[in-house]
Amino acid sequence: MRRVRRSRRPLAGARCSTTILAVSLGLSACTAGGPDTEVEVLAQPGEVGLTPVALGELPALDDPALDASVSRPRRDPVYPGVGHPVVDALHYDLDLAWDPEERLLTGRETLLLRVARDSERLVLDLSPALEVTGVRLDGEQRPFDRRGQDLRVDAEVSTDDRHVLEIDYAGSPEPVAAPTTRGDFSTNGWTVTDDGDTWTMQEPTGAYSWYAVDDQPADKATYDITISVPSPRVGVANGQMISRTESDGVTTTRWSMEQPASSYLVTIATGEYALSEAVSSSGVPLSYWVPVGEEDRVDADAGLAEADRGLTWLEEKLGPYPFDALGFLFVDSESGMETQTMITLGMTEYTTSTPVLVHEIAHHWWGDLIGPTTWRDLWMNEGMVMYLQGAWMASEEPYTLQQLMDYWAQDEPQMRAEAGPAADYDPATFGEGNAYYSGALMWHEIRGLLGDREFWRLVREWPQSMPYGSSDYDGIVGWWSRESGRDLAPVFDAWLLGETSPPR
Amino acid sequence: MTSAGARDPDEIDDLARRAQAGDAYALEVLLGAVRPRALSACRSVLPHLPDAEDACQEALLNVSRKIGSWHGRGRFTTWLHAVCVNSARSTYRRLKNQAVPADPTELTATGPLERPDPRTTSVIAGTRLDLLEAMEVIERDHPQLVQPLLLRDVHGLAYDEIAQLLELPLGTVKAQIHHGRKLTRPLLAADA
Repeated sequence: MRRVRRSRRPLAGARCSTTILAVSLGLSACTAGGPDTEVEVLAQPGEVGLTPVALGELPALDDPALDASVSRPRRDPVYPGVGHPVVDALHYDLDLAWDPEERLLTGRETLLLRVARDSERLVLDLSPALEVTGVRLDGEQRPFDRRGQDLRVDAEVSTDDRHVLEIDYAGSPEPVAAPTTRGDFSTNGWTVTDDGDTWTMQEPTGAYSWYAVDDQPADKATYDITISVPSPRVGVANGQMISRTESDGVTTTRWSMEQPASSYLVTIATGEYALSEAVSSSGVPLSYWVPVGEEDRVDADAGLAEADRGLTWLEEKLGPYPFDALGFLFVDSESGMETQTMITLGMTEYTTSTPVLVHEIAHHWWGDLIGPTTWRDLWMNEGMVMYLQGAWMASEEPYTLQQLMDYWAQDEPQMRAEAGPAADYDPATFGEGNAYYSGALMWHEIRGLLGDREFWRLVREWPQSMPYGSSDYDGIVGWWSRESGRDLAPVFDAWLLGETSPPR
Repeated sequence: MTSAGARDPDEIDDLARRAQAGDAYALEVLLGAVRPRALSACRSVLPHLPDAEDACQEALLNVSRKIGSWHGRGRFTTWLHAVCVNSARSTYRRLKNQAVPADPTELTATGPLERPDPRTTSVIAGTRLDLLEAMEVIERDHPQLVQPLLLRDVHGLAYDEIAQLLELPLGTVKAQIHHGRKLTRPLLAADA
């Protein structure tokens, strides 16, 4: 990607905005009944906390590399609180500072965007827990207001024009409720541990808990993220680590993800981490970021070896790994996320197991390279990846894939009864068994119909049919039908839209 | 995202063994992992979802209390089915005791009720309720027949699984199920 030097003019008084903000936020937190007494310490005038550092350069607005980020933004039909039809995000440059003592995030965001339709305002998702101190469009300050989780910037904009939107913000981020009854997570977004370390998982939404974003999966963009934290903490994010510097007791890392990603695939964590690196058999740089003191729960050497084994197996099935790095970031979660090029995993026995590594790596083809246009079609990610995970498990364990499918099929009707059909699920049950097992069983049936050779050819080709793109239900069903020369719509419909499980 | 409870039977057994040994975390993970199966088992007896959920809750509670009594020879999930049978039955009994008589004038086909009918409460008329009721009758004189019969005919477990689970010779189990069916048949509703 071509870079030009950024021409950012700091807002007047921006350097001490951290302190001022912390005071006002602290007061509001106290009136709300929060027993947060730490913020009073911050109210010392003249004390400046951590401030974001601007590093690197912005892409030019007409950089052809940004064209891969062009998409049609939309309001999400399942989670209509997110997504807006005006802003097509192309590139996010996030300069962030995290103060673990004060639980204060200070952010300077630069968003390169395309206008997707004529409008009098630009709208992004941003949590009300974060206070916006200034907004500039193409270098000019713009009026803005907040309505719920919408940040609205007054601006007459025309379709296909490109702009640079800069947003300064700060506050103590709060996680957002996750629309699920799953046992392994109940909130999404920026999460702070007792020690002041942070991590995030944000599927289906929750990126807006820490930056202003079009938080809907169809709108993919590239990212450069710079994170400053007190040493020995370090910030970890997606992509490749471009630099790691330390000055005045603050460690600053810069991360760059050059291939467009949906916002739910973005990750960031801060804490004291040990880095282990390796190179896969196929030449992909691998990294393992394990919190210091958690080595007994996460064995980096063994994990890197298992990741290589899983990646090798997947590359045989799906073709070369489609991104330029593959990292694993361990956090205080009980789940795992296929965050693009930097997988985020809890440290439980389950989430560190090889089948889970294989699952999240497999998502880099089915989910990250191509994913669902809206959250209606989560099954598109999870059904195939669960099937691939099952195929891996059957290759490792003393049972056949058919036996495993029979076993899964015992529970699938109950999952369908509880959460609805996988492509028409109850929005309060995101990511539950139906999304995984109905789809996996369906693909097993389709494999039976098409034969191994044809099935695996299409499994490999679908993610490459629209790299960095997204598809809706009709898109994937039509593609599979055309490519296989069979009308597969009845099979998809029966498995994904039927109230009851089809016969196998 | 990784699936919440993707576990194969061996992993479930491993978790159960660790839970037996006192690993509280393993127990917690185990309960989460088997809940869909437990609910499914209860629902095959109690078709009305809220009733099945009650029974499932009781079953999981019993799993956590009595996991020491799983012998670890058969699959944990087989033992789980037995626990669910018991919970579903005790839930049924409780519902029946709580039931109030229905308006007799509404019952034209079957005539007035002599006792509270669970089918008029939250236990909606379902194919298995007459079977459960029959089990209540059989239990009075032949308590040993009930569990093998339910495990075979409602939960669909194999004879050898049942034998292993109940620690009985295979021949005994087969005989019990045969005897149980003979006693049950005349007690079942004609239309069931």
